[in-house]
Amino acid sequence: MATLELINVIKKFGEFTAIDGVSLHAAEGEFLTLLGPSGCGKSTILNMISGLEDVTAGEIRMNGKVVNQLGPFERDVAMVFQNYALYPHMTVAENIGFSMRLRKRPKAEINKRVFEVANMLELEHLMHRLPRELSGGQQQRVAIGRAVIREPSIFLFDEPFSNLDAALRVKTRGEIKELHQRLGVTSIFVTHDQEEALSLSDHVAVLRAGKLEQHGSPEEIYSRPASKYVARFIGSPQMDIFSGIFLHSNGTLAFQIGEATIPLPANIQPPTQPVDMGVHPEYVILGKTGFGASVRLVQPVGPFTYVTVDWQGGSVTARVNGVSHLKVKEIVQVQFDPEGLLFFDRETEKRLNM
Amino acid sequence: MFLYKRYLNRFFIRLGLATFTLVALGPVLWGVVTSLFPLTSLTSNPLDLNPLNLTIENYIRVLDTSRGLFSGLINSMIIATFTSAIGLVVGSAAAYALARLNMPGRNQILLMILATQMLPGIVIAIPLFLVMSRLDLVDTHFGLIMVYLSFILPIVIWILKGFFESIPMELERAAAVDGATPLQTFQSIVLPISLPPLFATGVFAFIESWNEFFFAIILTRINVKTAPIAIAEFSGQYTTLYGQMLASAVLASIPVVVLAIIFRRFILEGFVEGAIKA
Repeated sequence: MATLELINVIKKFGEFTAIDGVSLHAAEGEFLTLLGPSGCGKSTILNMISGLEDVTAGEIRMNGKVVNQLGPFERDVAMVFQNYALYPHMTVAENIGFSMRLRKRPKAEINKRVFEVANMLELEHLMHRLPRELSGGQQQRVAIGRAVIREPSIFLFDEPFSNLDAALRVKTRGEIKELHQRLGVTSIFVTHDQEEALSLSDHVAVLRAGKLEQHGSPEEIYSRPASKYVARFIGSPQMDIFSGIFLHSNGTLAFQIGEATIPLPANIQPPTQPVDMGVHPEYVILGKTGFGASVRLVQPVGPFTYVTVDWQGGSVTARVNGVSHLKVKEIVQVQFDPEGLLFFDRETEKRLNM
Repeated sequence: MFLYKRYLNRFFIRLGLATFTLVALGPVLWGVVTSLFPLTSLTSNPLDLNPLNLTIENYIRVLDTSRGLFSGLINSMIIATFTSAIGLVVGSAAAYALARLNMPGRNQILLMILATQMLPGIVIAIPLFLVMSRLDLVDTHFGLIMVYLSFILPIVIWILKGFFESIPMELERAAAVDGATPLQTFQSIVLPISLPPLFATGVFAFIESWNEFFFAIILTRINVKTAPIAIAEFSGQYTTLYGQMLASAVLASIPVVVLAIIFRRFILEGFVEGAIKA
């Protein structure tokens, strides 16, 4: 187990700056996810942590020691690749035991460890198969086994679920989380899937074009996004964001969007600059009072139904418990739970603390 | 109805394959027949293919060491072996570098390699002969191997470069993370999965240089006559010894056929599989 620290790390490919001064840290045994759209540099950061990619400037420290100059193996990290990268000419057992064979461990010891790891990942019956004879989920488990047998200080995962179908993805996600709980090894996980990030991590680092946008717990990232960018990236369906203005009348405070005025708690200090308001679907209430809106889309997803309504020149999505009997074009009243309202500076897009 | 259509399809596919096989193997079969009968049986009208006339006399005669064929086979063996071995070693290293290293001028190098293939042999024959004779390389094994390498290498490099590019980078990265040195990665990952295409390319290079005629006839005189030249010499100005010529041809084909049979699995995998499923 190890702590990991990135201090003002910069990575340039020629003239192009892929990573622009990212500082991050992961405590011992922490599960840290790097989250962002493709091209944001999250895989580049992972490759720099692994030692597969050089660092242009800045420091990477493990247990406080600078490792910039060390190769992947000396850093004692193990990595699970997106396409698994299983050695195609080796059986499952040979794939898992490869690192031990390289270190010239005694055969009996290798067999014992390979069997233990395979047992843990339920691969015992597949030991003599070649990777191409395995399903995607099985290949994935072999890739994990190859990392686990190393007993590394840090696990690195590079979008390991992206080649799995939806059902298997959720199952494997659970397995990885359990594995992490059991082994307690510091893990760095790269994904573009916000749900994976939220469900797996102790902390999430949201990246945007090579820069760190926000670093916090899943709960912080979801409920108190640092910027509109994070707010739009987290949550499915996305947060709705509206332009509006603060209104004072008769000692009460409200936020006006189009013709609708949303009452706000009095303790809020309204800022002076132009502001946008954002709200997650679970804070949108469809009921008997509020502002009229016409139903545009009804999407049942089992435990909830997402209802999107046309409202004040835009649209807003509400999460309704259970099955909704609303019909398209039906008129409903929209209200917002003030708890869930977030305000962003329209210029800088940063969230305002009020 | 459906089934009927499938059978019909299958029938036509098989008919096509049978026709192709007949066209391709017919002359070979006739060559074997010609080599096994005395000329009189073949020139009589009607054809007299009485098995009692079967003879291996042609074979005994052409294998007489005083004739050119025996030394021709040995020369061809030396030249083809060295050409394909050097071609594979140098070519695979070059191909791997061109596929994996991000060096400046990479595309220009690749284009230049390809450009050497664009001139027909006849165009460079005379200058090549002049150069080779100045260097005293005419009628030497070394000279012919060099010339063969000049056109085998570009093909080897292009074929293997394509293959190496199809190996996912992650395999090598995974090996590096597992603690393998670059040499260990090459030995235990890249080399084993590259064996089929390496064998396929090697066999291809061997066959190309084994069968080569044009440069061999220009650049050899007495010492380094290759098998194809020796075979051609049975065709004289006044007579052509068809039986012996074809017996020689059959003998000269044996190494290539044996090679193809031994490496059949690899050749198929190498050319069919192309990309590795990781």
